[in-house]
Amino acid sequence: MSLLETIFRQILNGLQSGSIYALVALGYSMVYGIITLLNFAHGDIIMVGAYLAWLAMARLALNPIFAVLVAVLGCTILGMAIEKVAYKPLRGSPRISLLITAIGVSYFLENAAQMIFGASSQSIPAIIKLRAITLGGVQIPGTALVTLLTAGASMAVLTILVNHTRMGRAMRAVSEDTGAAQLMGVNISTTISFTFALGSALAGIGSVLYSCAYPQANPTMGAMLGLKAFVAAVLGGIGSLPGAMVGGFAIGLAEAFVSAVGLSAWKDGVVFAILIVVLLVRPTGLLGKPMHEKV
Amino acid sequence: MSALLQVDSIEVFYGRIRAVKGVSFEVREGEIVSLIGANGAGKSTILKTVSGLIRPKTGKIEFLGQDITKAEPHAIVRRGIAHVPEGRRVFARMSVMENIEMGAYVHGKAAEEELENAFARFPRLRERRRQLAGTLSGGEQQMLAMARALMSKPALMMMDEPSMGLSPILVEQIFDIISELRAAGTTILLVEQNANKALRITDRTYVLETGRVTLSGESRTLLESDEVKRAYLGGKG
Repeated sequence: MSLLETIFRQILNGLQSGSIYALVALGYSMVYGIITLLNFAHGDIIMVGAYLAWLAMARLALNPIFAVLVAVLGCTILGMAIEKVAYKPLRGSPRISLLITAIGVSYFLENAAQMIFGASSQSIPAIIKLRAITLGGVQIPGTALVTLLTAGASMAVLTILVNHTRMGRAMRAVSEDTGAAQLMGVNISTTISFTFALGSALAGIGSVLYSCAYPQANPTMGAMLGLKAFVAAVLGGIGSLPGAMVGGFAIGLAEAFVSAVGLSAWKDGVVFAILIVVLLVRPTGLLGKPMHEKV
Repeated sequence: MSALLQVDSIEVFYGRIRAVKGVSFEVREGEIVSLIGANGAGKSTILKTVSGLIRPKTGKIEFLGQDITKAEPHAIVRRGIAHVPEGRRVFARMSVMENIEMGAYVHGKAAEEELENAFARFPRLRERRRQLAGTLSGGEQQMLAMARALMSKPALMMMDEPSMGLSPILVEQIFDIISELRAAGTTILLVEQNANKALRITDRTYVLETGRVTLSGESRTLLESDEVKRAYLGGKG
């Protein structure tokens, strides 16, 4: 393989995992933007999505399309339910209570999954059966292509939704000034619920795409993925949606190149090194707004 | 004439501190009423309580004859109360146009006619409609906050310190606009520290001191009262 081909292959790998990080990071960022909560249970939603896909395909023998629907819908409902049960009763409580609750929810989901499905991994049947296409002498695997297209389309839809619809405008208003948004007649509960639904749906899509690349479901798979997506959100500027996308791709590419130069053992370390550097040098992230304490 | 807004001996607490100690007042249709008083008298708290952002511990608030004491803020806006908050609180990261559209949120979409009205009343906003609201000057932001509140077509418009932090010329302009709104038939409840200005453009005034109404009546009469002159107008009294 020529050097150029290797570089191209690694860029493709980076973009593929990066687009999944981006989808997950978007959920982190949206939720942070609206209720300033670092929702550490977000990564575990992906784990639940992966199990749902496995259940649908391996156990219920459903068509992959239905499996995808089950996973995405299941994640959406789970995300909304978590908000209703765990976070909504704490509205008005100190932020630290909310954060600790999120960590609790994360442990709950991981342990519940272990109890139900066992600690060992379940292998997920292939969701996407698409042959590789050859572009300019380079092979692009089917899953990479589908992942990039799906993630791209999801991000485009999200961007339109947030910037050009009434609900999207309400979300931005709540994220900027909750009190003022209420005075415009925005129903805060509905808006928060919608934000969780949207973020969790993206996580659901992410879980399906992740399962295509790594077709295994296990109870703790969401932890590392969630953490990396969190780093991506912070790198891009938490609260900023374009930031989450840029951050996701940046983390994916960074990992791919670290692996490409033969340091794959350092892959995770590099991601967290990036987090440390961002926090030291530019705590607001690449596209984040300067932070103001709310008075 | 029956009252549009009837506030009946409300008490509001911040934790253990009683910020509003049994305040009653009313605003009748077509009137412009002001609440004046020093910092910390409870004026803003009262407006926030009326719009549902804070819950009173005791007392009752009626709007158009219906009890809204326990209603959610968004439901209160729908009933026809608009609140221009202290410090304007425009959405700085949204364009001027989007801010105005947010004002019409309860109606779904901003009606073409309403937009025209808003831009006719505030021509500066038309020029700047694509600009981010955060880049506007203080006076322009105040106008935007007022335009935004009017988009909900309120039966009652509450304004909290609209003149705060503005240059004297701008203060003049803002008060002119308030008088125009009133002339156009909007009922207004105005909170002001600038007692002199407030007394000159309003029909009736309630004077607040540390959470209590200490004086109330026709603004014209209060303007002449020795007590008000001494405490709020810097007069010899």
